[in-house]
Amino acid sequence: MHDEEYPSVKIKLRVDGKHYEVYVKPYERLVDVLRYRLGIVSVKEGCGRGECGSCVVLMNGELVPSCLILAVRANGSEITTVAGLAPEGKIHAVQKALLDVHAIQCGFCIPGVALAIKWLLDKNPNPSDEEIKEVLSGHYCRCGSYLRFIKAVKIASRYIREGRIYFDIKEVIS
Amino acid sequence: MVLIFRFNVYRPRSLDDALEILDREAPEVIPIAGGTDVLVLAREGVIKFKGLIDLWPLRRELSFVRREDGFIRIGALTTINELGRSFLVNDVRYLGFHDLIHYFATPYIRNLATVGGNIATAHPLSDAAILLLTLNAEVKLVSVKGERWVSLENLYAGKRVLRKEPNELITEVRFREKPVNSSTSLLKFDRRKAHIMGYVVVATYAYMDHEVIKDVAIAFDSVGKPYPGRAKLVEEFLKGKSLTNDVLSRAVKEVLIKEMTRISDYRATSDYRLYLSGVLLKRSLLKVKERIQRGSLG
Amino acid sequence: MSQIPEHIRIVEEMFSKYKKFVYVGKKLLRWDAVSKVTGRAPIFTADFVSRYRDALYVYSIRAKYAHAMIKKLDVSEVSRYPGVVKVITAKDIPGVNDVGYVVPDQPLIVDRKVRYIGDVLALVVARDYYIAREAAERIHVEYEKLPVITNPLDVIDLETLSERKHVLIHDERGSDVVARYRIRRGDAERGFKEADVVVENEYRTQFQEHAFLEPEAAIAVPESDGGVTVIVTTQCPFEARRAIARVLDLPQGLVRVIAPLMGGGFGGKEDIGNVIGAKAALAAYLTGRPAIIIYTREESFISHSKRHPMIARYKHGAKRDGTLVAVEAKIILDTGAYASLGPFVAWRATVHSVGPYRVPNAKVDTVAVYTNNVYAGAFRGFGNPQVHFAVERQMDLLAEELGMDPVDLRFKNILREGDTTVHGQLLSKDLGVGLEEALRRAVNLSNWYEKRREYSLHSKGSVRKGIGVAVLWHGNSIGVEAADYSSVSLIVNSDGTITFRTGLTDFGQGSLWGLVLIASEILGVPPSYFIIEKADTSAVPDSGPTVASRATVMGGAATVNAAYKLRQRLNEVASRILGCPPSDVEIRAPDVFCRNNPSRRISWRDVIEKANWLGIPLQEFGYYRAPSASWDEDTGQGSPYITYTFGAVIAEVTIDVETGEVTVDRIYTVYDVGKVINKEGVEHQAESGAIQGLGYALMEELIHDAEGRVLNANLSTYYIPTAADAPEIIYDWVESGYKRGPFGAKGLGEPSLVGIAAAIANAVSHALRAKINELPITPEKVYLTLKKLGKLRNDVQGCRC
Repeated sequence: MHDEEYPSVKIKLRVDGKHYEVYVKPYERLVDVLRYRLGIVSVKEGCGRGECGSCVVLMNGELVPSCLILAVRANGSEITTVAGLAPEGKIHAVQKALLDVHAIQCGFCIPGVALAIKWLLDKNPNPSDEEIKEVLSGHYCRCGSYLRFIKAVKIASRYIREGRIYFDIKEVIS
Repeated sequence: MVLIFRFNVYRPRSLDDALEILDREAPEVIPIAGGTDVLVLAREGVIKFKGLIDLWPLRRELSFVRREDGFIRIGALTTINELGRSFLVNDVRYLGFHDLIHYFATPYIRNLATVGGNIATAHPLSDAAILLLTLNAEVKLVSVKGERWVSLENLYAGKRVLRKEPNELITEVRFREKPVNSSTSLLKFDRRKAHIMGYVVVATYAYMDHEVIKDVAIAFDSVGKPYPGRAKLVEEFLKGKSLTNDVLSRAVKEVLIKEMTRISDYRATSDYRLYLSGVLLKRSLLKVKERIQRGSLG
Repeated sequence: MSQIPEHIRIVEEMFSKYKKFVYVGKKLLRWDAVSKVTGRAPIFTADFVSRYRDALYVYSIRAKYAHAMIKKLDVSEVSRYPGVVKVITAKDIPGVNDVGYVVPDQPLIVDRKVRYIGDVLALVVARDYYIAREAAERIHVEYEKLPVITNPLDVIDLETLSERKHVLIHDERGSDVVARYRIRRGDAERGFKEADVVVENEYRTQFQEHAFLEPEAAIAVPESDGGVTVIVTTQCPFEARRAIARVLDLPQGLVRVIAPLMGGGFGGKEDIGNVIGAKAALAAYLTGRPAIIIYTREESFISHSKRHPMIARYKHGAKRDGTLVAVEAKIILDTGAYASLGPFVAWRATVHSVGPYRVPNAKVDTVAVYTNNVYAGAFRGFGNPQVHFAVERQMDLLAEELGMDPVDLRFKNILREGDTTVHGQLLSKDLGVGLEEALRRAVNLSNWYEKRREYSLHSKGSVRKGIGVAVLWHGNSIGVEAADYSSVSLIVNSDGTITFRTGLTDFGQGSLWGLVLIASEILGVPPSYFIIEKADTSAVPDSGPTVASRATVMGGAATVNAAYKLRQRLNEVASRILGCPPSDVEIRAPDVFCRNNPSRRISWRDVIEKANWLGIPLQEFGYYRAPSASWDEDTGQGSPYITYTFGAVIAEVTIDVETGEVTVDRIYTVYDVGKVINKEGVEHQAESGAIQGLGYALMEELIHDAEGRVLNANLSTYYIPTAADAPEIIYDWVESGYKRGPFGAKGLGEPSLVGIAAAIANAVSHALRAKINELPITPEKVYLTLKKLGKLRNDVQGCRC
């Protein structure tokens, strides 16, 4: 009933290359810490049950749903969100590909989808349609951009194979 | 509604440490592996606890896939995706694991969900448990008092009820290596093409000698109880026979019907589930046969 | 002769003047794409939460039963729970305890009775959600249970359409019938007598959930002037403001509603903004601190309105040659516990009830009734997907009776330019009537006739194939529901950028981008010059709600007005510098020059500076009021909508008749959108509608048990399509030119979903050679259909189907 019954724990984690130290409650989830303590709002919460894919992050290289990870478990971990895919002022081939195919509508699913594509291409640089659908089917897009995501994976795969990993945001906007 | 309550978390330094905490604090404190089940059940109000013992620090010792002394041994904290990266999915005998990974939830859940967690959840739709049942798997239970092996089949007592003491932890699951000319498969069907729980889940193991079934094991999400079970009558019927259309048809229409009862709920009726079980059983058996013949995924 | 109002005249002038386009009709990357893909900045309402220190969280304690009187309500223990700042019950509401959008039937917080399981008994305002939820368990409520009604046929009789005796849900209204509409044209009874063929069937559709990925949220901040600012997920910021002001008993001007971009809406954020905004505002107002409310997914399922389930009986009569003679329909819509947009949904369903055909004799009756289910309201299509399912199935069944190809039967009866609708509305050229062209293109794209023949014969093992067609119409904007107006503000800043302000909102559909493209075109300025602000009731006058596929057609017309007037003045200023007449001024920002002397160039910034010196205002407010619509309550005659978007959809399916699995292989869509403004946007709409429509057709259904509890309030037991379910989507466009739309444009937001389920159902029916009268078409339904017809495989190989 009382706050003191649940003593806070200090955790240290690196998010997108930046080091953080934060006190968390034992029952807090990683998604809460990222969004509301560290202000990393690209990580979304769509369902809280690990079903929709909006909250995924790369944790120590693996794609995981941050709404099902207790913050205390993230102690000592390396986390990448969509902001960490490319250095400041640039975007990653995956993000560029999503822009190329005009995949973005409401945008809520996009950070999760971008990370999933990155994770997929890291493991499987030239995936088949089936393999792409298998990874993407964990990410709901109610606006219906699925076909564009599939195209984007192939474009990103080509960019990466050509060595074009990062793109200047300024060039993209113009 | 949504019942997110406050709780404490224990982070053990070793397995012994975890067992000690569990012995002291259970049942108000329960273990959490991947968390993909426990945290969702808590949210739904199905379970409530004062604290969780986080088993993740034990991954180094409890995540493994090995062959040893004629057994395949899988650590309880092996994630489903880790299973998919092991030698199992390249061994024609264990191709059922390839199916398991394909059908299991979503890729990011598979990075958290563990074999031990899937078994411990004691729910009909526990895909890993269903497959392991066909391999006559055994589960190792460890507590401060010692350790024991229990056959997976005998582990389930009721819906979400295990024959396990609150202070016991599942640390490992093992099954004997299967002979050459055997294979496994797992099939699931639902109303969309991916990200599915399944109306029916079936796993099959068969060892065939020139088209004749020497040994077979079939497990469903439910044969009549609220947890995974084997279709023993169907197995008996199939032994010594070939998988002809007639045999398959009779297996479904004469034997499975007698052995299996299905429930009706808002997702599907018992009639459809029973019918679908027959369809998937047939497809699952034919898939195994094809894999044995090809010596590959098929 | 009545004079055409200026705002309409300007739109008509622009329509006839512009033949070539620089920005309109082009595929340009939307303004928010980069920020959404980098994700750093806060975009959605809940993203702004961490900016508010000292904020409190608001949790809704909900009903235990779906229908009961509240005998006693005791929140004292909840108030005392450590960490709880305030518990708000109905008696704490300063103003009117009602948030209904159309009908004042929806208390924000209940105190007399609960009508569905989502009803709120009290709001717990606490330091965080954990504390709020723990405290909530300490509420004491004594209920007197009442019979729970989950079947609308317990409220109304399908045959007579008269209300049945039952324990009233809205006893305060004296009846559980919310709305009735009718069409009476010609003499249906005689028409059926003259018909050579009559087809009669009953159709049922299900509750559909929007499942937008961003859950509802609101942040309310008390202001020093005694008012409150509310950031909230709402498609209708001015409706939310009206509702919140009413609840707080404040003048509207003291309530500021800001609507950030939303992660999906589809109609589901149309009136929930009233509810969630009022909750947050109330908490902020009564505690003096910022208040935050974020719904869980489970709450979202039971909190916002759903798509109305339909039970309908349709009767069609036709001549031997396929000409429709008469249509009779009895349509029941279940609006759940509260009316929400139900009265308007029922009206739109009625207007479109006979489909886009020439129907000389029609008798339609629609009734919307209350039940104890989750309430139904606005959802993309708004009654139209339901009736199109029924009508297009009827047309296919007629075709079968007549031995005609379904497409031929459509060609025989569809509305063409110069025809009169079933309401007696003349479809003049001005409205843009491209249905025939759309159907023709869809037929060619899909190779209809050949495939129809080929699939009829296809029977390999357990695989069957089918192809089906549906045609549709969808009235643009709100018709006679309310006064139909919109507005937009353009403000040229001294650095040359242009602030674009409107009360219209964007929840993914790119509506605002289309408006910017229109402004770009008329001003001669690239879209990148525009800065689109969030919809803010303190910054713009009422632009009307973002609903009814009206953003492009109404907001666009307002934009045309604003840009037109602004351009006139810019031309004036430029002409003073350049020396040519204003009508010769070309603006291709950053360059400005005269058509007859292009070498003499000045800059866009020069013009702005000169305008400021001359005292010529560089801001313009564009207002547009739709041409009048009309509707006679007794006969359903009039001109209910300003124009209609037409379309043709063709779907191809493959069915595994062993498992009942339906796979949609391909969907072809051809929509007559008048004029493509935002090429990226219309393509998005076609794909979006196809996939959401596929979900509606095959897998989505919100299920209540007999006690009115929702059984599948999460995203694994409520199935929406995944990437693996997406079919190939092939589209084409018809631009028939609506004279009073911006450059001829019509809306597409809803039409893109309206015909999908109908086409898929017709394809499934073709493949199975069986009637499909119910949605969703799950594998089990296919199984039951085949079983009933005795076509199930009775051994492992042969199938007698």
